[in-house]
Amino acid sequence: MLELTRITAGYDRRDPVVREVSLSVAAGEAVGLLGPSGCGKSTLARVAALLHRPDAGTMTLDGAVVRGWRHRAPREQRTAVGVVFQQPRLSADPRIGLRELIAQPLRATGRRREVPERVAELARLVGLSDELLERRPHAVSDGQLQRACLARALVLRPRLLICDEMTAMLDASTTAALVAVVERYRAESGAALLAVGHDRVLLERWCDRTVRWGEHHAEHAPTG
Amino acid sequence: MTADRAPDTAPVLDVRDLSVRFRMRGGNDIAAVSGARFSVAPGECLALVGESGCGKSVLASALLGLLPANAATTGSAVLGGDTDLLTAGERTLARTVRGRRIGLVPQSPAAHLTPVRTVRAQLEEALRELTGVRGSDLPKAALAAAARASFPEGHLDRYPHELSGGLAQRAATALALIGDAPLLLADEPTTGLDRDLVERTVDELRRHTDTGRALLIITHDLAAAERVADRVAVMYAGRIVEIADAEDFFQAPGPRHPYARGLLAALPERDFAPIPGMPPELGALPEGCAFAARCGHADDRCTAERPAFRADLACHHAPTGRTHPLKEAADA
Amino acid sequence: MADTAIALPGRTARRVRVTTSAVIVVAVGLAVLVVPPLTQLDQQAVDLANKLVPPSLAHPFGTDDVGRDLLLRCVYGLRVSLLVGLVAALTATVVGTAIGALAGALGGWADRIVMRVVDALSSIPHLLLGIFIVAMFRPGVWPVIISVALTHWISTARIVRAEVLSLRSRPFIDAAVSGGASRTRIVVRHLLPGVLPQAGLAAVLMVPHAMWHESALSFLGLGLPAHQASLGNLVQSARGSLLAGDWWPTLFPGLFLIIPTLALAGLAGAWRDRINPRRKSELML
Repeated sequence: MLELTRITAGYDRRDPVVREVSLSVAAGEAVGLLGPSGCGKSTLARVAALLHRPDAGTMTLDGAVVRGWRHRAPREQRTAVGVVFQQPRLSADPRIGLRELIAQPLRATGRRREVPERVAELARLVGLSDELLERRPHAVSDGQLQRACLARALVLRPRLLICDEMTAMLDASTTAALVAVVERYRAESGAALLAVGHDRVLLERWCDRTVRWGEHHAEHAPTG
Repeated sequence: MTADRAPDTAPVLDVRDLSVRFRMRGGNDIAAVSGARFSVAPGECLALVGESGCGKSVLASALLGLLPANAATTGSAVLGGDTDLLTAGERTLARTVRGRRIGLVPQSPAAHLTPVRTVRAQLEEALRELTGVRGSDLPKAALAAAARASFPEGHLDRYPHELSGGLAQRAATALALIGDAPLLLADEPTTGLDRDLVERTVDELRRHTDTGRALLIITHDLAAAERVADRVAVMYAGRIVEIADAEDFFQAPGPRHPYARGLLAALPERDFAPIPGMPPELGALPEGCAFAARCGHADDRCTAERPAFRADLACHHAPTGRTHPLKEAADA
Repeated sequence: MADTAIALPGRTARRVRVTTSAVIVVAVGLAVLVVPPLTQLDQQAVDLANKLVPPSLAHPFGTDDVGRDLLLRCVYGLRVSLLVGLVAALTATVVGTAIGALAGALGGWADRIVMRVVDALSSIPHLLLGIFIVAMFRPGVWPVIISVALTHWISTARIVRAEVLSLRSRPFIDAAVSGGASRTRIVVRHLLPGVLPQAGLAAVLMVPHAMWHESALSFLGLGLPAHQASLGNLVQSARGSLLAGDWWPTLFPGLFLIIPTLALAGLAGAWRDRINPRRKSELML
């Protein structure tokens, strides 16, 4: 599904955050990437989500070599990967209500006719009421907003979901609820998961296997 | 275990029936904190746990006198037996309380530190302000202050953005400790930190508690709370619903309130099962128990009347048959 | 809370200031829109028998050196000055927003080139540049508007670019990219709505400034042609009579320039406080 080979990436070419890192996620597999904060795992997640062009290395997605990142990646490739970030406040456009937030990817890809049905379906899945859907981000809690962000990541039915510290700001119950949503979606769709985080107990409980940052240098061949 | 501690240790902070209401435009009030009652003794750590939006940060702001103008407080929060934090004026709070009698360990230390000044400069400024150390004694005092929070001497001349998360946290803790305040208030001190850093941070806070300070730690991280706390107060929808001894709470016999039980069961090292539903809005709290809609035990009484906070528990279904001695069950 | 007591007088003062500003702006707007079509009076009507008459009931602001009613001249002058100010501010804002948004959204070399041009332009005193631009045309309304607009888009472009840059690095833009949004869609749906309040505020704040510029250019004789009553022209043509001790032809046009522009600036300031509140949220949950 996803194969990152000897990826070097960062924000300054002379001092990359990620150096020659390799990682693979098989179709349908849930991989946890475990590492301390500031180690570069979020940058690697952004590379995998086609949001940050690496300085070196190759990435294949669904067997196709990735040739461009962000807008240089074909839309089909970009939308095959769903992504949820750590801070829901920063991940939501403050001017847009939750219903629109979830619907945005559908509108952006010209599928506005599916909006009412798909948004209702996802709102039910993540547990957001009609009343909450009408609100704007400032009027809901972090947990509620992260539910909406997860719904947005799932609305185009991605084949790979990347959760970058998705639950780091959330309490135990909301964490368990969001993980349950991801797992239900994966069971029904067969999607793969790359969960990035620093909580070993959580990732080991959630994922099929976990890779520790620093250990994956050895991992060159795809497994699983 | 009750809110009233044994008389031999007079509480550093004694909070009675503290309520905070926000008056909003359009006339509807938001009950961010309702009737909170707890106390913290010297050498004791109380962890206030609950999910984001349950009112615990508002409670901390109320104690520091940092609420916005549209907030109204009732009740009392007496510091050291003589100063009510809710009625003391801004002058008193600024001159004698914040930094001197309450040390604040902030949520995001990197943002709490002044970005354009080195750690040493900030420590020295705080020392000048809070302890009156002057001139040639300052450098030595700054070294001592850094050492108290295990901040490495070699990093003193760095700017906040040059510090790792852990070192920034230690720098902020060092600042919080300078005034030698009898009460430390830590508001989500471990958010976004790695597990081992969380453990180091709370262990350090614990160390300062063991030297006789009182520590009120506000967190949604139950593992951190378990590691550091003597007692746990669980907050839900603006109310404290249970206060318990940390050992009883996290090990046997476990929490008494169904919400607290659900919260613990949701941990990945336990059942990893979420509590169904979401907490109610603080602007539209139900008539009865705020947790009733999500509770497996809820009956007509739960939806009709709000349970009183008695014997450190606010639940109609107090598990009387278990090992908890309910001293005040008689008044129920 | 303690700070309520301190905050109250400030709040009342602000309310008084805003209300006064609003009343003046509304009155000026009405005068400028309603007076000319309703009155058949000719502002150009020369009455040499009544030249330089001090303020009286018949001529509340007095008359000028050829006997024209100054109140009427002031209203017409304000009308022209306001129009020039509005159009110039609007043009400058549209140009500035477009350039700033483009520079911020494209980044890279496009951003660098635009910002070098902006730096170069800001190094020239803008009144000087404005004079240079009007001097290239024959006197008239449009050269003044062009001159003011071309010298005033720079600050708006800077503000908008900074705002776009800060918005662009937010994860919600990443989320939109990942959700399949095109570049255009990101600019139109996420970046522009975020900067429009700031740009609109910049536009309103610029109106009084542009009016002053028009007056300055006209006063220097480079702006509007002498027969067109703009406030700058009125002050300029009154210079001679001021030396003779006739104060009213200078004072009233001057007040007509100062008071409405201060009122506009006051309203814009109140708006700025609204969209950039010092405390982000009243509720800190």
